[in-house]
Amino acid sequence: MIKRKLIFTYIVMPLLIFIIFIFSLLNGTIEISFLNILKMLFGNKKMLTEDIIVIIKQIRLPRTIMSCVTGAGLSISGCVFQAILKNPLADPFTLGISSGAAFGTTLAFVLGLDTMASFFMPLCAFIGMICSIFIIYLLNMKNKFNSNSMILSGVVVSYIFSAAVMFMFILSPTNSVQSAFIWLMGGNLSTFDERLLPFVIVVVIVGTIILSLLGNIINIISLNIEKSETLGINVAKNVKFLFIMASFVTAVTVSACGIIAFIGLIVPHIMRKIIGSNNVILIPASAFAGAIFLQLCDTLSRTLFSPILIPIGIVTSVIGGIFFICLLLKSEKY
Amino acid sequence: MSTVKIGEILIHIDNVSRNYLDKKILKNISCDIYINDFFCIIGRNGVGKSTLLKIICGLIKPCAGSVFINNKNINSFSKKELSRKIAFLPQYVDTSVSFIVSEFIMFGRCPYMNVFKIPSSYDYTTVNKIMDFLQINNLANRRIYELSDGEKQKILIAQVLVQGTDIIILDEPVSHLDIGNQNNILKILKNLNSEYNKTIVLTLHDLNAASEFCNKILLMENDGSVCQYGTPEKVINYKNIEKIYKTTVIVRTNPISNKPYVIPIK
Repeated sequence: MIKRKLIFTYIVMPLLIFIIFIFSLLNGTIEISFLNILKMLFGNKKMLTEDIIVIIKQIRLPRTIMSCVTGAGLSISGCVFQAILKNPLADPFTLGISSGAAFGTTLAFVLGLDTMASFFMPLCAFIGMICSIFIIYLLNMKNKFNSNSMILSGVVVSYIFSAAVMFMFILSPTNSVQSAFIWLMGGNLSTFDERLLPFVIVVVIVGTIILSLLGNIINIISLNIEKSETLGINVAKNVKFLFIMASFVTAVTVSACGIIAFIGLIVPHIMRKIIGSNNVILIPASAFAGAIFLQLCDTLSRTLFSPILIPIGIVTSVIGGIFFICLLLKSEKY
Repeated sequence: MSTVKIGEILIHIDNVSRNYLDKKILKNISCDIYINDFFCIIGRNGVGKSTLLKIICGLIKPCAGSVFINNKNINSFSKKELSRKIAFLPQYVDTSVSFIVSEFIMFGRCPYMNVFKIPSSYDYTTVNKIMDFLQINNLANRRIYELSDGEKQKILIAQVLVQGTDIIILDEPVSHLDIGNQNNILKILKNLNSEYNKTIVLTLHDLNAASEFCNKILLMENDGSVCQYGTPEKVINYKNIEKIYKTTVIVRTNPISNKPYVIPIK
């Protein structure tokens, strides 16, 4: 039973990621043959024309890797949030973290910082998110990181920041509103700063490893709080650490490529149905599944209405929503 | 188990009081729980039975008074030390999770695991032994939410047992079970108590079960103080029951076990 799950998680899913990775490189506004991709990745590059190399190396490869990593990062933090808050509807965004990012970036757009230097956008998003994480942290210090009060404070923070974003939209010129809006729907996946890529990769991989290692503790925290306390776990301390850790992963991925809705909610859910609640396996499995899901969505967003790129947030929401409804209708209990 | 000395005080509750906001829930509770007691706390809803259990587990700090375990103040134990001494089964445990039964029982071994809580082979043997003992081997690979309430309760008891503590505290372990399952669970607990010298502290609403299975009963007054505590014969009489529960009852003696039993009358 457990062996089967391990094989599924550590062999089948990485293979799937690889297949979809290739598939994702093949498809786009300009079709590139499978052979050329293989040549590009492993073989002699001299046999390829200049523009194919440019398309793959400078456009598709970083973008696909980024979607992989972002999907993984958002999925693991969603997974952790659902477990520590004991709420199946929790995700990085119900806690108001993304609204902090939205606030930061909108402010940057409105002030015109985006035209000054490219690194201002992720920086502002990151600062916005750190602010919201900090506010939630402060609000919950007294309540010992009780799950209900964390969710409530997250919702409140999220509403306040959203209100501020709307307010800025009304006051600002139309063109900056549109670019901010695209960012808010994950559109930045096509325009992200490539220099951020290594940093995001490292954070997501390290985060996945640490959180998977803490999987057993997360399991115990997801039980009744009295039960976990009498099992010798300091719940408040651990929740605090896990919250900061998962938020940080979210903050890094979101600040690099914008808000991508739904994935942190839906991927852990689907994986929980397939392999169960044990976070030791669920967290890496969610990471892989998130990578697969976001790659697919990204490919779709590039090809569906090509040459127009639709923001990936729209694709994830639609596909995720439909998939989730099917899942709910099919199973009598989730 | 060789160090167990029957008849020694294990838990000493000294003048414990606890307020919730302005309301006093527990008022000057003092009593002793001896090693190998099957100790039951009864009383009306909301008099603070669960609060008292949580104070004994160290989950809640009393506003006044203190609890001693083996003559040591409970505050002087670390969380981990306490978790190796006392296992607690809360009244409500979310069992709609999709953990596999054996995984779920393994959580009970948490106090003995390393930082990352990775189970050792000894932990696996313990879990298997307990599953044998409770005859729930056939459930090992099922998911928790698929099980019936009686089976779930057994799983929760198994989780408590793998913790390997001398003291087991249970908050209404049988309140939503049918009479068959209720008896089964209580028999398991009784067996642990008499065969394995576990000290068991629990709350029950079924007075007859309390009288039948427990050797000590603490009846709580409606203002949160101790009404009476002692053997079932001493505590369960119609005067006490009518005073606390405000209803008319007849108390008879069970001809088989010679324990009192309570029949409510119209």
